Amino acid sequence: MAGHPGPEMIVEGLKEAGVDLVATLPDINLHALLEQVAAAPEITHVPLCREEEGIGICTGGYLVGKKCALIMQNGGLFNSVNGIVSTLLQYNFPLLLLIYFAGDVGDRSFSTNGAMTQPVLDALGIRHFVLRDPDEARTLIKRTLVLTQDYKRPVAVLLTKDVLGRRRPGE
Amino acid sequence: MKRIECFKVMAELAGDALAVTGAGGNTVEWYACRPGDGNFRVRTMGLVSSIALGMALGLPHRQVIAIDGDGSLLMNLCSLPTIARKNPPNLTHVVLDNEVYEASGEIDTATGAGTDLVAMARAAGIRRASWAASPDELRTVFSEALEGGDAAFIGLKVETSRSEVPPYPMDEVENKYRFIRHVEKTEGVNILSMPMPVSFLKD
Repeated sequence: MAGHPGPEMIVEGLKEAGVDLVATLPDINLHALLEQVAAAPEITHVPLCREEEGIGICTGGYLVGKKCALIMQNGGLFNSVNGIVSTLLQYNFPLLLLIYFAGDVGDRSFSTNGAMTQPVLDALGIRHFVLRDPDEARTLIKRTLVLTQDYKRPVAVLLTKDVLGRRRPGE
Repeated sequence: MKRIECFKVMAELAGDALAVTGAGGNTVEWYACRPGDGNFRVRTMGLVSSIALGMALGLPHRQVIAIDGDGSLLMNLCSLPTIARKNPPNLTHVVLDNEVYEASGEIDTATGAGTDLVAMARAAGIRRASWAASPDELRTVFSEALEGGDAAFIGLKVETSRSEVPPYPMDEVENKYRFIRHVEKTEGVNILSMPMPVSFLKD
């Protein structure tokens, strides 16, 4: 919903964490967030055609000193698994994954995507945190960036409709 | 053309450019021609050009060379429009097209049946895309590419052949650290510095 604080709080968290390269692929529920990422002068924004190339772009950015994040739907996580395994995990690369959690409880579509998201992340050894409350966004984004850099593996934040301002009243 | 003839020309001109290579012969033959820590070997088929794009965007004043194969690029064709969209002038994407999946048993790729990767690059919006048919032509287009202006794409039709070169001398994690230390040293930046321990800090 217009004026919802979630997307802005997420971008503030990214800026405060020093994230300066963000690769993205749209989802209607990510629309407000991606507009703010594209408008942030501190952030190099790379719009993707397919999510797995974002794994590569963020890896290249990391290798030369950028702090990177990849924003996508959970379908994009599934598209990216080979890159996650044979690049991020094989070399121990950190990466902040901001994943729209389609098929979350209360959603009317993508329930299979929702069901498979956390098991796939668990199988990959990727720690994940569900973000619902906009008030927690800045702190969680900053902390997960610290965690992924220490862990030297990707860490995921699952962005729900609640934090993205896309939950209709009464839903 | 033989792949290693192309690499000899490129190595002569590459200077301190960062280089990204993919599967099989490309990596070991390039490393034999241009050894050093400014080389990064990719393990995910298709991601050579994407990783090089990330480097080029992250270090806009440094030349970055993606050394790709036809099979690898065919797996990640969406990299072409993404490169075109950002158009980093410091990125040169070279594809050695031998028309087979050489490292996977020399089975034909689509390029032998008529798929033209340079035409695809142009159609994706990469303005500076051309074939080089000989080492001399490569010398010309590769030198021009390194001068900047637009992202460049160079196609090279090469024979299926492997030269006698040593194996790649390190694993993935060592490659990562050596590459990052090389960037830190040559760019004067800190990428891996660790925070001070809490016990060291004063309240």
